[in-house]
Amino acid sequence: MSVSEPDQGAPILPGSALARRLDDYAVPGLSAGFADRVLSAAEARPPATLTPLPQLRRAPRSGRGWRLGRGIAIGVASFGLLATAAAATGLLQQFDIPVPSAGKVWASITGAASAAPPVAVTAAAVAKPAPSEAAARTPVEIVGPVDTPEELAEAFRRIDEVRQGRLNARSERIDQRIESAIERRRAAGLPPPTAEEEAAFRTRIEAERARREQIADERIAARRAEMQRKIESGEALTREDILRPLREDRQALQRQERLRQLQAMSPEQRREALRRLPPQQRRALIEEYRARRAGAAGAQPTPSAAPAPDPVPAPAE
Amino acid sequence: MNASPEPSSIAPPAAGSGGDAALASRLAARDAAALREVIGLHAAALHRVAYRMTGDAHEAEDIVQEAVLRLWDQAPKIAARHPVGSQAAGALRLGGWLQRVVTNLAIDRLRRTRRLSDGEVPDSADDAPLADALIAADERDGQARALVLALPERQRAAIVLTYYEELPNAEAAEAMDMNIKAFESLLHRARAALRQAFASQGDAP
Repeated sequence: MSVSEPDQGAPILPGSALARRLDDYAVPGLSAGFADRVLSAAEARPPATLTPLPQLRRAPRSGRGWRLGRGIAIGVASFGLLATAAAATGLLQQFDIPVPSAGKVWASITGAASAAPPVAVTAAAVAKPAPSEAAARTPVEIVGPVDTPEELAEAFRRIDEVRQGRLNARSERIDQRIESAIERRRAAGLPPPTAEEEAAFRTRIEAERARREQIADERIAARRAEMQRKIESGEALTREDILRPLREDRQALQRQERLRQLQAMSPEQRREALRRLPPQQRRALIEEYRARRAGAAGAQPTPSAAPAPDPVPAPAE
Repeated sequence: MNASPEPSSIAPPAAGSGGDAALASRLAARDAAALREVIGLHAAALHRVAYRMTGDAHEAEDIVQEAVLRLWDQAPKIAARHPVGSQAAGALRLGGWLQRVVTNLAIDRLRRTRRLSDGEVPDSADDAPLADALIAADERDGQARALVLALPERQRAAIVLTYYEELPNAEAAEAMDMNIKAFESLLHRARAALRQAFASQGDAP
């Protein structure tokens, strides 16, 4: 590192620009009744929920014997790895050191009779699938950039597989969280929801999930159509082409979601929610609403005589 | 903004003087007042750590509740290991213990969330006239939070514990179950990553 270049890992000095920025990260207080909830949960906590804890101190290491044994084990394993690597690369043959094949070693262990070539056995035992069947089962390999429809379809298949796994895991997590919320209410002495209430709640969650999935599916379909067009026109797609835009736009989606939530609030709730935001975020949101409103007004050539009130009124400052 | 007051350290001044051993002993005897005392002493600071790690107030409360309940569960063992009046009692720091549990729980949850996250699929870039405005506004939004939350979990924990909670490196290392050298290396990388991210936000001097 040159003298003129400051040490990037140096402590963050109070009053520096970075420190001022970090200090903007305010923390909301604990919600009212937190202590009571924890106390109720503690009193209702059955002994079966005891979970193993991290040790207060590291377990005392055993003495020299284990250290010595560990050293020997690491040494033997390292030697074995090096020897295997040397044999595999043909280095030992260069020094005229005979290296027995795996078959010979196996034969020396089990005896000559059992040293029949395994390939013949397996070849005889397993019937070859019909050529068309074999072709259908052949997995598509993606080599280099995605540049054929088959490779693109395979990429989509893999993405769908991962997505489905995540959806399933998320559903399980939602179930767990509902269960634990009900459990917490019970522990706090509050009445748990009735079966109807719980069903209604789950229906709302399911509807929201379906709405999000529908949006996601539509966007996926649009993106995939675009990618397919590119492939058909002879372009090649890299992994980054497929995945990077998703990551970059994620924040924008979260922001859209936040805007949607704000719109759904009553004016009082919205004002309170805005007041709780850091000033910078609040200004950004208000600007965004104004920009959106200006865009909407520009799109409509016949403005109404009395303009609609601003959905997000600026809080009194 | 309803920000909580920010005392500088997790551990209260009484920690380490044997007071925590007495508290643990009361917890072991299932004294609810002792648990309330622990919550009063440590919950706010633990919540700050959990919130700055996760960026989610509800998740942070869940984490703190879980940590306190684990202390409740384990109090008999802890009290047995640190009997009041013994030399071991003087070394017991419930704040540090809770800090470690909270840090580990937060890191675990962040990892799990990262694995499960993201059913979100972005809209096409050209279909909304406000897309640019949204992205531009998003870049300005929550820059302080974004800086911290963009760090990998362990680097984030290192910054939260040392910068926000002002813990000495040794205590932060203990909270993260690391040796001091490894922790200092992690902290160095975390600060460097933070500075780079700050510079890339475009407001760095």
